[in-house]
Amino acid sequence: MVWQSVVAIVNDDNEFKGVELRKQDGSFEILWTRSSEDVDTGWREFAAECGLSVEPAALEDADSDRMVVAGFNTEGTIFHRTTVPAVGDKEIESIIELQAETRLPLPPEQIELAWRADQLPDGQMGVTIAVARKEQLQKFVGKVRCFEPAKILLNCEGIVKIWEVLFSGNKENALVLSAGAHNTHVCLVEEGRLSNAVVLDIGVDDFSMTSTEGQTETTERFAQDMRSVLDLFGCPDQEGLPVFVLSDGSATYVSIVSSLRLAGLNARVASPGTNRLMAKSELSDEDIYQYRTPIGLALLALEAGSDELNIFENLYNPAQKVVKKHWLYSSTVTIAIASIMLVLLVIVSYAVDITGPNSIEKRLEASVSDVDMNLLVKRQQLIKTVARERPDLLDLFKVVNESGERGITLTSFYFKKGQPVSITGQASSNDQLSRYEKNLQNTKGIEKVNYTANTNAKSKKITFTMTFHYKNFSRKTTRTKS
Amino acid sequence: MIEKLSNKDIRTLKYGAIGAALILVFVFGSAGHERWTKAKANGAVLRTKLDAINVDKAKQAGLMSIVPVFEMPQVEEEQKFLFRDKLSEQLKRAGIRNKPLQVQAGRKSPQSGYKLLLVKCNATCKFVQVLDFLARLNENPYLVGIEEIKIKCDPKKQGEVTLDLTVSTFAE
Repeated sequence: MVWQSVVAIVNDDNEFKGVELRKQDGSFEILWTRSSEDVDTGWREFAAECGLSVEPAALEDADSDRMVVAGFNTEGTIFHRTTVPAVGDKEIESIIELQAETRLPLPPEQIELAWRADQLPDGQMGVTIAVARKEQLQKFVGKVRCFEPAKILLNCEGIVKIWEVLFSGNKENALVLSAGAHNTHVCLVEEGRLSNAVVLDIGVDDFSMTSTEGQTETTERFAQDMRSVLDLFGCPDQEGLPVFVLSDGSATYVSIVSSLRLAGLNARVASPGTNRLMAKSELSDEDIYQYRTPIGLALLALEAGSDELNIFENLYNPAQKVVKKHWLYSSTVTIAIASIMLVLLVIVSYAVDITGPNSIEKRLEASVSDVDMNLLVKRQQLIKTVARERPDLLDLFKVVNESGERGITLTSFYFKKGQPVSITGQASSNDQLSRYEKNLQNTKGIEKVNYTANTNAKSKKITFTMTFHYKNFSRKTTRTKS
Repeated sequence: MIEKLSNKDIRTLKYGAIGAALILVFVFGSAGHERWTKAKANGAVLRTKLDAINVDKAKQAGLMSIVPVFEMPQVEEEQKFLFRDKLSEQLKRAGIRNKPLQVQAGRKSPQSGYKLLLVKCNATCKFVQVLDFLARLNENPYLVGIEEIKIKCDPKKQGEVTLDLTVSTFAE
C-alpha cells in the first residue's frame, strides 16, 4: 500500500525524538518534530505525545494512511561483512548461521540475526549480517508494541539514509560518523548500503570540554578508536576511505574532523542540504541534525522496496492496518459468503434429494399402497397404448364424405391396420374425381392419395378405387412409444 | 508452547490438519455421496412414476375422449368372455344382427406385453346402424382397437351394407 506519510520515533542519546515526514513530487516535507528529555517519559508516553494511538482498542481505528516506525539503537548489535560464493538463499542462510555463531558465542536460540546479500563485481556475494541477543530485542519489542509500529528499523540504517539524501552522500564506499552528545555511530557504507556499524562511547560533549588536556586526551582516544574500528571493519585503504562527519555546522564537528585528519584519515564535514526538503518545512541545519536519525528512518520507510535489515523478523509481526473498506468489497467476506452458500447449496441439495423421495413415498403410502401405485402407472401406460391403437373411424367417414362433391357415390370402405385405406365408388366426371383426390390430399392425417378409374361405356359413369394413408395406422408396423 | 514451535513444525502441523480434514471429508463424504446417489436414483424413479400418473388436464381430457372407460386385462379365458359379451351387447344395442363372433388368438403386443385377442364379426345391417355401433364402441372397457373393417353397400337393397369387423382386446 502507498503511505501518505511516515512517523518515525527513536530514542537517541537518551532523548526521545519523533518526526512525521511526507513525500510529495520527489521532495520531502517534515510535518512536525517532537523531542522529550524527560526521564519519566517512556516509549508509550512519547508515542501518545506524538499523537499516536497507544490503546489496543484504538489501534484498529488508527489512521491507515500514516505509517509508524520505531528506531532500534544498534548498541549491542554486531555487524559482520563477509563474502560468499554466488549460491542460493538457503545455502547463504546456513553459511551465515555458522558465521553468526562464531561472532556471538551464544546458543542459536538466544540470538536473532538478519542478513542482506548483494552482488559483488567479482561475481561473489557480499553479505551484511546483523546479530543481536534475542532477549534484548524482545525487551525492545515489549516497549514499542503499545503503538504497534509497522516496522522496527535499525538507527544506523537511518543514519546512512539521511547522509545519502540530505547530507549529499554520493560515495559508494565511505565511513559515516554521526556524533551524539555521549556516543558516536560509525557506519561503514559499501556499495551505497550499510555494511558495518559500531557505536563509540565518545560524543560531542567529550569534545566540548573546556580543559585542553581533556580535549587532547579525547582526540587521541577518538583517533585510536577510529583506527580500531577501521581494523575491525577490515578496511584495506584506511587513508583513502572518505570519512564523513555529519554536522550541524558548529565548530565542534570541525574539531572532530581535524582530529581525524591528524590521525591520517580522509575526513570531512557533511552539512545538511535542504534542497530535497520542501520550503515550508522551515527547519534549520541544527534541527535537521538533531532529528537526523528519525528523519533517516522515515526516509528509509518511505522508500518503496527498501531491503532493510529486519532483525526483528521472528519477534515482531505487526498487525496489518487495514484500510477501511466497505465489507462488501472485502474479498475475504466474499469468499466466506460464497463458501457458505456453496456449503448450503450442497446441504440443501442433499437434504432435498434425501428427504424428497422419502416424503413423496410417505405421502403415496398414506394415499395409495405401493401395489396400487404400480397398478396406476401400468394402467395409465396401457390407456395411452390403447389410445394410440384406436382409429377414429367416424371422423374418417366424415372426412371421406365431406371431401366428395354431389355426384360421387361410395360403394365400399376398407380399413386394415398396416394397409392403406381403400374406398370404391362412382363419379360423374374425371374432374370431379380429381377434385375429390385433391380434397382428400389436403386433409390433415391423410396422405399418399392414389386412385384408378374406369369409365362405363353405357352409363358413362366413372368407377374408381381410391387408396390413401390414414395417420399412422396405414404404416406396415405401427411403432408406438411405450 | 506454540511459540516454541519452529515455522517448519507449524507448517507440518498445518499439513497434518489439512490431511486429517481431507480423510474425514473422504470417509464421511463417500458414504454421504453413495447415499445421495441412491436417493437421487430413487427420486428419479418416483418422479417418472408420478409423471406417468400425473398427466395434465388437457392431455387427460384427450385420452378420456378416446378411451372413456378401461378395464385392466384379465386372463385369456375370462377376458375373451367379457369382451365378447360386451361386444355382443353393443351390437345388439345398435340393432345389428350378426353372425356368431369368432375369437382368434393374436400375437403378443410388444408395446404392452399383453396378448392381443382378435374377435371377428360379420353382419348385414343398415349403414346408420354401423355408425351407431361405432359411435358407442369406445364404451367397451375391454376394447383395444379396430383392427380391420370392411363396409360394402348392397346395390340391390338401398341403405343396406355388409359389415366385416375385426376388433382386438388385451389378455394376460
